[in-house]
Amino acid sequence: MSAEVKVRRDARGKRPQFYDDPANDTLMSMVMVLASELCVTRDRLDTIERIADEKNLILSREIDTFELDQEALAEREQRRQDFMDRLFYLLRKDISELKEQDTGERYTQTLDDIAKN
Amino acid sequence: MAGVMLNTFQQIDHPVLPKVNHDERSRQEFSKSLKNCIQQKILPGLQTVYQTRAAKAFEKTEGRAPENRRDIRKAMERDLYFQHYNCINRVAQELIWESVTTSIERQLPELIDTARALSAKSTATLEIDPGFKPPRYATALDIHCMPGGYADEFTEDDVAVAALYDRGVYLYAMGFIGPYNDDMGRSVCNYLQRNVPDFKPTRILDMGCSVGHSTVPYKERFPDAQVYGLDIGAPLVRYAHARAKGLGHDVNFVLGNAEQTQFEDESFDLIVSHILLHETSGKAMPRIFKECFRLLKPGGYMIHADLPPFTKMDNFSQFILDLETYYNNEPFWGAMREADQIALAEKAGFRRADVVFDTAPMAIMELAAAAQAGNAAAAMDTNSKEFKSGEFAPGGGWEVLIGRKAAVQA
Repeated sequence: MSAEVKVRRDARGKRPQFYDDPANDTLMSMVMVLASELCVTRDRLDTIERIADEKNLILSREIDTFELDQEALAEREQRRQDFMDRLFYLLRKDISELKEQDTGERYTQTLDDIAKN
Repeated sequence: MAGVMLNTFQQIDHPVLPKVNHDERSRQEFSKSLKNCIQQKILPGLQTVYQTRAAKAFEKTEGRAPENRRDIRKAMERDLYFQHYNCINRVAQELIWESVTTSIERQLPELIDTARALSAKSTATLEIDPGFKPPRYATALDIHCMPGGYADEFTEDDVAVAALYDRGVYLYAMGFIGPYNDDMGRSVCNYLQRNVPDFKPTRILDMGCSVGHSTVPYKERFPDAQVYGLDIGAPLVRYAHARAKGLGHDVNFVLGNAEQTQFEDESFDLIVSHILLHETSGKAMPRIFKECFRLLKPGGYMIHADLPPFTKMDNFSQFILDLETYYNNEPFWGAMREADQIALAEKAGFRRADVVFDTAPMAIMELAAAAQAGNAAAAMDTNSKEFKSGEFAPGGGWEVLIGRKAAVQA
């Protein structure tokens, strides 16, 4: 759909660089957009399934106006949070290593230890 | 996952709120879920990263421990976990605006028509001087990365950036400022009722009212009062005027600058602002205090609800909050928290003894507590005790700077 009036889409103000290599900044934004689209698709499927269950009838107009009840809202939010847990599993791993003082040195020591003992 | 609250808060619809189709709604929900995930699951790890890794790395290179929030930031910026946190948080912020802008562009002519029709029905005034120029601190950067800021206009009678703010700020706050985004106004109203129950203002001014989220609760609490909202963006006051009518209220809105308004001396009993001060500037903030003093009737109150000064928190919390300054286009966020606001109020004419910082418990928390207790009065009582005991209550109360103009001038 082409809109008659174009509004501003990019915020004024230099965007900071977060990583040592700026390519990673761009890649992270792309990953997050993909993640968003994946969630959108899953939500849409979910809506279709729920409508089909309720009415055995699928209409795109109904999908756009379908109102979620509290239980459905909670199910969706749980699913999204579970998805994000998977998405950020490496951050979780990082904290776990810090808490357990799991280092590269310890890993090498373990190799040596197992080789010898 | 155990222990994580499932946030299914939903904004309540009103006539000028942009409508969403299925996928737009899902994208918006994703941005809110992502923010929730970042705050509840990724942010807590920063403390661990700092203590077990980043502070040590800093000590190694600098030969001393980090001493303040700037040192902590320097230490953390080199850490990959922090880089991920910071980058994902920024992307989440950008996705909020991106997901809402798409829906607004699609329906802008209808939104403008709806706003015009509602405004025409309001008995309250809408004043827009076409020659007005918004101040530089509000336009130099798009604050909190909201494209177009508060004042850009893309077509005649435009309300686009206001609609963007209305929906976007709900997602930004993850619903914690209530289904009408009005929790700050409601909380200050409750605070007034509790602390000065006999205070019955007849003219109320809300400075930096944006789309009138917090302005409307004053009209609800004081229905006979003349209530005015003032802001620097024409789309904001246009949308605010229509939104208030859409919610059943006639509230006056004016395009203007809180540093120097068009109102007469001693023309208000109550002047409030909500998250305004941190979006002004070093020169503007003292001028706003002076303007409040000029506009207040003797015995009247000025109440600015914003976020607590740095002196009220430890260095690590300062570092976390100050990230907004550097990574979310909030140029005055950090500097405002360093300012001695009580001294500024005194310079503006208020007596030192008549200016205090306090905490106004969040109205939505009180409502939740009341629902549990089944008794509103009991819930209020519980909350008062809780909030009085803490230094500050993140997530539980709004920091309020209160100044009362002396009833008789010395």
